[in-house]
Amino acid sequence: MASAPSPTVVDRPDVDATVKPDIPWIVLVWNDPINLMSYVTFVFQKLFGYSLDKATELMLDVHEKGRAVVSNGTREKAELDVFRLHEHGLWATMQRDDT
Amino acid sequence: MARKPKPTVERYGGGYRINLQFEERDLIARLMGEMRSLLLGSTDDDRVRRLFPTAYHQEGDRAMDDEYQRLMREDLVTSRLKGLDLVEGCLGTVGAASAQLSDAQMLAFVQALNGVRLVLGTVLDVDEDHDLDDITDDHPLVGEYHLYAFLSWVLDWCMQALQAQAGQGRSGQALA
Repeated sequence: MASAPSPTVVDRPDVDATVKPDIPWIVLVWNDPINLMSYVTFVFQKLFGYSLDKATELMLDVHEKGRAVVSNGTREKAELDVFRLHEHGLWATMQRDDT
Repeated sequence: MARKPKPTVERYGGGYRINLQFEERDLIARLMGEMRSLLLGSTDDDRVRRLFPTAYHQEGDRAMDDEYQRLMREDLVTSRLKGLDLVEGCLGTVGAASAQLSDAQMLAFVQALNGVRLVLGTVLDVDEDHDLDDITDDHPLVGEYHLYAFLSWVLDWCMQALQAQAGQGRSGQALA
């Protein structure tokens, strides 16, 4: 006859050590005097699949307001998006979405 | 009646055609060769700083930016060199009336062309108020300013050709 399993002692989770959920990050593109407006619009369409209208709206935000949020997500995704924008010569940075 | 002039860059066959004189295409090709040398040169060269921007701009994230630059700079160089490899030799030969590029070559071409503009614009310290009309003929860098304007003009033609193609059924889709 199989013996009954002995009870297992389970430690209480240490609340202080609980991993925080990944804080979303945002990717910003900043205005610069060299990149052409038509090129910036094209890159937004190419990398993010935005429609011409959406890409143009974001490009105009960059041009007129100095910057625009073009994507968001986990830190890893944001870093990949920043890298792809850098590959295309755009001035892109990332920060935690604390809004 | 005058014939309509050919667009400088146009969709042609399964790719694109660049209707520039050989001397103009050769100039662009030579500039891309110089870009290759710059990419393989010193990491401290200020002319290429716009090719490797800051990724984490907030003060408290400086360590993460250092890490990004350490890990990604080489990947950015590799990516740009691969693009230059794709474009190399496709700008045509002496006597050819135009250069023909595949879709992939066209995408690499616009990235490389924009990279050259970023370097030249950095050297010329181009700012928001930049206007070629302000550059007088006796300016010591008048040639470079005209070159910058020429590259901008070609890139804008490329954008028109790519957008025209996107408008024929690919609008809203990722082109990559």
